[in-house]
Amino acid sequence: MADSGSITESFFKGSSGRNTRGLLRLTILSLIAAAAISSRLFSVIRFESIIHEFDPWFNFRATKYLVQHGFYDFWDWFDDRTWHPLGRVTGGTLYPGLMVTSGAIYHALRALTIPVDIRNICVLLAPGFSGLTAYATYLFTNEMSTSPSAGLLAAAFMGIAPGYISRSVAGSYDNEAIAIFLLVFTFFLWIKALKLGSAFWGALCALFYGYMVSAWGGYVFITNLIPLHVFVLVCMGRFSPRVYVSYCTWYALGTLASMQIPFVGFLPIRSSEHMSALGVFGLLQLVGFVEFVRAGVPSKQFATLLRGFVLVVFAIAFGGLVLLTVSGVIAPWTGRFYSLWDTGYAKIHIPIIASVSEHQPTAWPAFFFDLNMLIWLFPAGVYLCFQKLADEQVFVVVYAILASYFSGVMVRLMLTLTPIVCVSAALALSSLLDTYLTIKSPTEPTDSSADAVNGTTASSKKAEKAAKQDGLRSLSKPLVGIYTTFSKTSVVSALTAYLLIFVLHCTWVTSNAYSSPSVVLASRMPDGSQHIIDDYREAYQWLRQNTPENAKIMSWWDYGYQIGGMADRPTLVDNNTWNNTHIATVGKAMSSREEVSYPIMRQHEVDYVLVVFGGLLGYSGDDINKFLWMVRIAEGIWPDEVKERDFFTDRGEYRVDEGATETMKNSLMYKMSYYNYGALFPPGQAQDRVRGVRMPEKGPELNTVEEAFTSENWIIRIYKVKDLDNVGRDHASASSFAKGNKKKKTTKRRGPKVLRVE
Amino acid sequence: MHFLKGLVVSLLPFAALAAKKPAADKFQQFHTKALSSTPLKLDDTIYGQLTSAPRDYSVAVLLTALESRFGCQLCREFQPEWDLVSKSWTKGDKKGESRLIYGTLDFSEGKMTFQSLGLQTAPVLLLFRPTHGPHASADTAPLRYDFTSGAPPAEQIHGWIARHLPDGPHPEVHRPINWMRIIAVTTTLLGTVTFISVAWPYLLPIIQNRNLWAAISLISILLFTSGHMFNHIRKVPYVAGDGKGGVSYFAGGFSNQFGLETQIVAAMYGLLSFATISLALKVPRISDPKTQQVAVLIWGGVIFVMYSFLLSVFRIKNGGYPFWLPPFS
Repeated sequence: MADSGSITESFFKGSSGRNTRGLLRLTILSLIAAAAISSRLFSVIRFESIIHEFDPWFNFRATKYLVQHGFYDFWDWFDDRTWHPLGRVTGGTLYPGLMVTSGAIYHALRALTIPVDIRNICVLLAPGFSGLTAYATYLFTNEMSTSPSAGLLAAAFMGIAPGYISRSVAGSYDNEAIAIFLLVFTFFLWIKALKLGSAFWGALCALFYGYMVSAWGGYVFITNLIPLHVFVLVCMGRFSPRVYVSYCTWYALGTLASMQIPFVGFLPIRSSEHMSALGVFGLLQLVGFVEFVRAGVPSKQFATLLRGFVLVVFAIAFGGLVLLTVSGVIAPWTGRFYSLWDTGYAKIHIPIIASVSEHQPTAWPAFFFDLNMLIWLFPAGVYLCFQKLADEQVFVVVYAILASYFSGVMVRLMLTLTPIVCVSAALALSSLLDTYLTIKSPTEPTDSSADAVNGTTASSKKAEKAAKQDGLRSLSKPLVGIYTTFSKTSVVSALTAYLLIFVLHCTWVTSNAYSSPSVVLASRMPDGSQHIIDDYREAYQWLRQNTPENAKIMSWWDYGYQIGGMADRPTLVDNNTWNNTHIATVGKAMSSREEVSYPIMRQHEVDYVLVVFGGLLGYSGDDINKFLWMVRIAEGIWPDEVKERDFFTDRGEYRVDEGATETMKNSLMYKMSYYNYGALFPPGQAQDRVRGVRMPEKGPELNTVEEAFTSENWIIRIYKVKDLDNVGRDHASASSFAKGNKKKKTTKRRGPKVLRVE
Repeated sequence: MHFLKGLVVSLLPFAALAAKKPAADKFQQFHTKALSSTPLKLDDTIYGQLTSAPRDYSVAVLLTALESRFGCQLCREFQPEWDLVSKSWTKGDKKGESRLIYGTLDFSEGKMTFQSLGLQTAPVLLLFRPTHGPHASADTAPLRYDFTSGAPPAEQIHGWIARHLPDGPHPEVHRPINWMRIIAVTTTLLGTVTFISVAWPYLLPIIQNRNLWAAISLISILLFTSGHMFNHIRKVPYVAGDGKGGVSYFAGGFSNQFGLETQIVAAMYGLLSFATISLALKVPRISDPKTQQVAVLIWGGVIFVMYSFLLSVFRIKNGGYPFWLPPFS
C-alpha cells in the first residue's frame, strides 16, 4: 500500500511528475484533435468524399488548375470560361492561401510516394485543420490563464463547437477551413509577442498574418482588432516598450507580407479598412517619442508642451487623412465592410450583398444553436478577465465585444466569435472546476477564529478597502474555499451533466444541420431508409456529356461555380459576383418576357439555360424563391424595365398560382419553372409543394427556348435556346404555325355587309 | 359664299392661335403661382384644371392624407422631402423651361379625385406628361411612383422625375443648411467639453472604475448575443398577439424573434452568467460554512432551473430539438 502510494507520488511530483503531466496533456490534446476530426466526417460516411455547396467547387477547380499547371501559371491565370464574354483574371482576384496549402500537401505526399487524389486532400483539409485549431486554442488560452485545465477545456470546446464545425466539415473546402486556425494562431503569437515584448514573436505573428491574408478576406478582422487592442492599452495608460516593439514589428512586416498578395496589393495603405492599423502605428511613434523625451527631461512644463504637440500632430494627421479620402487617393469604404456599421446601407445600395443568406443578421436561436451552453458561460468568462486585467485579458475583452457585435450583424461572422467564446467559457468553467474539484477543504472556522475574522486589524481593513476601489467587488473578500463535500459533488455533477448535454448537442447539430453537402440531398423513405436525391450531379453530368465543350450556360449566379466545377462549361455569372451589371443582365433576362429575354440571350451567346425548381419535391431553395432577388438586382440597373412591384399582386402578395400577376406569368423564369409541370398530375391537380398552392390548369408556353433536360425529381431543368427561325419568322408565330394554328388574316375587316340599293 | 369661305379659312390660323393661347397661359398662370408657393395646394377643381387633357406641360401631383385622423405615417414622413424636391426644382427653373408644375392634393380637399381614381391608399405620386407640344408622350396615362420601402429621400424622387422627363433642365435638389442643428450641435459639444474639463477630477475615478467597465462589457455582450442587432435591422415587433386575445412571447420559427423575446433571453443568459460568477468567485469567499452551503445550493439550483427553462424555450423555436433537463420538459 505504502509502496503504491510512493509510486504514484513519484509520478505526480517533481520532474517526473511534470513529465507525466506533459504526457497526459499531449494524450488529451491528440484525443481532442481526433474528436474534432472525426466529428466532421459525417458527410463523408453518409454520402461520399465530395466537395460541398457552391464556393468550394471553385476552390476545388482552382486547386486542380494549380496542381496541373504549376504555381506561376496559376498566379497569371486568366479564366475565359466564366463571366462569358468578359472572363476573369482569376489569379489576381482570389485568395490563394487555400489552394497553395492543399497543393503543397499534395506535392509533399507525392514526394513521400503516397499516391493520393487531390480531391481527397481538398475534402479532408478542413477537418485536418480543425485539429490544429484546437491546438492553437489551447496555446492561446494558456496565455490567458494560469489554470492548466482552461487550455484543455478551450481546445475541447473549439474542437466540437458547431459554430466552427458549420464551416469546416469534410468537403466544405472553403477559405474558412484554414483561416480560423490562422486567426487563432496569429492571436496567440500576438499575445506572446506582447507579453515578451519580443521582435521575434512579433515577426512570427506577422508571418502568420501574411498567411492569413493570403487565405481569407476576413483578415481585416485581425487588421482592426490588434490596433484596437493597442489603442485601448494606450488609453488605459499601459504604454510600454513591449507594446511598442511587438506592434511595430507586426505592423511593418505584416503589411509588407500582405501586400505580396495580388488581390490585396496596395489596399493596406489606401483603403479605409486598414487605416486604423496605420493610425495606431503613427500614434505609437508619437507616444513612444513623448515617453522617450519625458524620461530624459523631467520638467513638468515640458510634459505639458509635449501633450500639446501630440494633439497638434494628431489633428494634422487626421486632417490629412480626411483630405486624402476626399481627394480620392484613399479608397472609400467597400460595401461589404461598410454594411457592418451602417446596417441599413446594404439593403438600399447593394442588393447583391443583402441577397446572400449568410449576410443576414443573426437571431438568438442561431447563437444558441451554434454555441449551446457556451453562450451563457461566455459573459462569465469575460467577467473573470476583469479580475486580473493584464494586457492579454484586455485583448479577450476587446475581442469579445467586437466579435459579438459583428456576429450579431452577419450570420457568417459567427465564425470569428466562436474562438473567443470557447476561450472565455473555458476560463469560466475551469475556474469553477478548480474551485469545486479540490479534495482539500478548508478547516471550519471556530468561534474564536471567526471573531478574529470579524475583528480584523485596521491595516488589513485598509488593504481590503484599497482592493475594493481598484479591483472587482466580488473579489473584495479573501478566498476561503469550499467546505463541504456535498457542495462540491452537487456542483461538479451538475456541470458534468451540462457538459454531456453540450457534447450531445454538438454531435446532434453537426449530424443534422451541417453535414449535408447540399449538392446531394438526403430524404427518408416511409420505411425509414435513406433515399439519396442526386439531381444536381445528374444534371451537371448531362451537361458534360451532351453539350459541346463551349456551350454557354446561363443560370442564376448561385450555380455558376458548380457548373464550372462539375459540368466544366462556361457560365455567364458565378458566385464571385464582381460585376453587378452582368448579374443584373441575367436577372433581367430571367424576369422579363421572352421577347425581351431572347435578344439578351442571343447577345451573350447563351446556348442553354438552367433553372432550379423545387416544386415537385418541396425543395425550398429553388429559383422561384430567389426570384425576387433577381428582380431587385435587375431593377437596380434598369428601373424602368423591371419593376419589383409588378411581381406582387394588388394586395401585395407574391403568388405563383392562378392569381399571379401577368408580369410574373410572362417572365422567363416562371415559364421555365412550370413548363409542362401540369402534365405530371391529373388535369387540374397540379400542385407546387414548396409554395403549397395549386397551379393553374393551363401551363405556360415557351417559344424561344425548348426543354432539353429535366432531372429525376425535376430539381434542375435545362432549356436549349432556339436558333433564329429559318424563314425569318419570330418564334411566337413559328411555334404557333407548328401547332397548326392558321395565320391570322391580315386583311382589313370590312364593315357589315349592306345591301346595295342603287 | 366663296368670299365667306375664304374669310373663314383665312381666319382659322388666328382661331387656332386664340385656342392655343389659353393653354400656354394655363402653364404660365400656374407657374407664377408656383413661384410664390410650391408645391401648389390643390383641390378637386384646380386638380381638374391642371391635369385636363390638352396640356403641353407636365404635372407632378402628390395625393396624400396628412391629417392625423387618417394616421398615415408615410405621408407625414414624405411631405418635407416632397416640399424640398418641388422647392429646389422651381427655384432652379424660374423661367419654367422644364414645364413642370408640382402640386399636392390632400384627401380632405380632394375626396372626389381620390374616388374617381379609385385610390385606397396614400400617398400616391402621379406624373402627368404633356399630351401635345414638343415633349408630348404617346402614353397619356399618368405614371405612378411606387412607395415600396418607406419614405424615399428627395434625391430619389428627383431621379425618378428626371428620368421620365428626359428633355429640359433638371434642377438639382438643394438641401437647405440646417442652421439650428449646427448651432445646437456646437453648443452641446462646447457644453460637454466644459462640463468634462470642470468635472474631470470627479469623473476620472468613475472612468477608471473596473466594475463599471465590466458592467458595460457584459451588458453589450448580452445584448449582441441575444439578437439585438437582428431586432434593430429587421425592425421586429416587440410582442404579438397569439390570436386568442393573449400575448405570445416567443415567435414561431428558427429565424424569427420578437423584441420582448430577446430581452427575456438576454435576462436568462445574464442570470446564468451571474450565477456562474457567484459560484466561481463569491461562494468560495464566504467564510461561514452554513451560509456557503446554502449559497451553493441556491446558485446551483438557479443555474439548473434556468438552463432547463432555456432549453425548453429553444425547443419552442426548434421543433425537433431532442435535449431537455427536468423541471421544464
